[in-house]
Amino acid sequence: MGRFEAVKQVFLAYLKAELIRSHGLVIGILSLSVWLSLFIAPLLLFRPPGVPPERISGLALTAVMIFIAYSVATWDWAWELRWLMFHGVLEHVIVSGNSIFLLYAGVIPASLLWYGISVGTSALLLTVFLGPPAISVADPVTLLIAVLTMVVVLLAYAMLLGATTIGVGSAGPVLELVGFILPIATGGLVPLSYMPKPLQTLALATPFSYPAELIRYSLGVSNTVLPLWETEVIGVAYSVTFLLAAYALFKVQLKRLLKEGIRTVSMW
Amino acid sequence: MKFSEFVELLKAEFMFVYGDVFRRKSLLLLIIIYPYMFTFFVLLLGSAMGSTQVFISRVGVDPVEFFIVASFVIIAVLSVTDDILWRPIFDENMGTLPYIISSPVSRIALYVVMPLPRLTITLATGAATVLPVLTYYRGIEGVVMALIVIGMAAAGGLFFSTLAMLIMGAIYSMSGESWRVLNVIRPLLMILLGAFYPRYLMPLGARMLSWILPPSHPVAAIQLMLANGLSAEVSTALMLLGVGAALAVLYAPLGRSAVLAWERKKLESGVSA
Repeated sequence: MGRFEAVKQVFLAYLKAELIRSHGLVIGILSLSVWLSLFIAPLLLFRPPGVPPERISGLALTAVMIFIAYSVATWDWAWELRWLMFHGVLEHVIVSGNSIFLLYAGVIPASLLWYGISVGTSALLLTVFLGPPAISVADPVTLLIAVLTMVVVLLAYAMLLGATTIGVGSAGPVLELVGFILPIATGGLVPLSYMPKPLQTLALATPFSYPAELIRYSLGVSNTVLPLWETEVIGVAYSVTFLLAAYALFKVQLKRLLKEGIRTVSMW
Repeated sequence: MKFSEFVELLKAEFMFVYGDVFRRKSLLLLIIIYPYMFTFFVLLLGSAMGSTQVFISRVGVDPVEFFIVASFVIIAVLSVTDDILWRPIFDENMGTLPYIISSPVSRIALYVVMPLPRLTITLATGAATVLPVLTYYRGIEGVVMALIVIGMAAAGGLFFSTLAMLIMGAIYSMSGESWRVLNVIRPLLMILLGAFYPRYLMPLGARMLSWILPPSHPVAAIQLMLANGLSAEVSTALMLLGVGAALAVLYAPLGRSAVLAWERKKLESGVSA
């Protein structure tokens, strides 16, 4: 089977398994809506009557967009390796002689499709509960840089988690922990200007904060804490370095796995 | 069921879970960190969207205390629901489901015992979450309050066992062992518990659904105690605990029947390899 055909088959398989079979799409949207309501409801208890709901809605939508992007990288890309180990598929992927990344070339388009649907659903929910989100494309070039650096950072992050998963056999709690802490601590959910100074410094020390800051700026939600050009330059350089480092670590873990065999997967 | 058999069951479950947890200590870390993480998340986002003063005027409790307690209670209740709802999927994947279905053990005993190991671990971590925070905010009264919160969380978790059996049996009988459906049910239950968004602020329909969940009553009792102090509302809190316990007992035969119906269905359809 040619490489393109393999990628196509993986894409179709995931499309059927995740979105079509067992009402995956409907249940997925339902699940997302309920999770969102769970997190948005307590936040509304903080809202003073004078603040326009559209502004809150805009802030919430950008937070959700970034959070779902992290979720895709965590649960669709990194967790995928655990699933492959759990069901004994990883061995087949390895002995097929193809790179494991070929599998991801088929998974990623399915993830992106789901991402689009999720963000659309979230926007609809926020419009119904709060009002139309106050966002617009204020700077298209910055938006493009923001999206590209975000994709690079998320790929690196997924590889890092994937390396942990194949290294220890299970990383469920680690994935859950990191998947929650990262977007919070690195300014994924709230503009850095709203965060306390020490947390701002911590966030800026990681590659995650830069794409998030650029996304919010380009959508007219908030200004960046560093000058714009500085945020762009550091963001691009940091994301590429991060990707290279994560790739190196992933290769090391893959090599170790080939030597020592596949780890047993635990319940958690 | 003989007491010695019950003890054997308890021993087996504790060995299974404690072995796993102590082998992979990241789970312990997660249980301790989660309440802090959620509190921090809500405070950060809440402050960006409004102010903590508005929260206090609406709920009557400082948001730090409110959310650390809420997250801890949710973790305790989830430790029960997750074990009961997810275990059949795990057993099917691991190939152990046929042994469990063919075992003569009492189903109520099995499903009540199943979540206990993780629940005990969660409750112990209360010493690293609710205890320090409530002590910081309320001094000695906070220590007593934290112990009551831990006890109420234990009650809330245990009260959920029988309803979780009913939900598990009913869902799996109708739609098969699907983690997807559970991903809708879990957050829905978390909303309706009223831990993150108090029950009395919910619309009537949601409030009525919340009333039929046994752990929502200990949760309401905890919130009353946080808002009004230790001495106030003791009789109301006890009454709420009683309602939760009564509901749990009421769901027991239904839960057992639901689990047995699902097992019968598995016997007919077979266990997937």
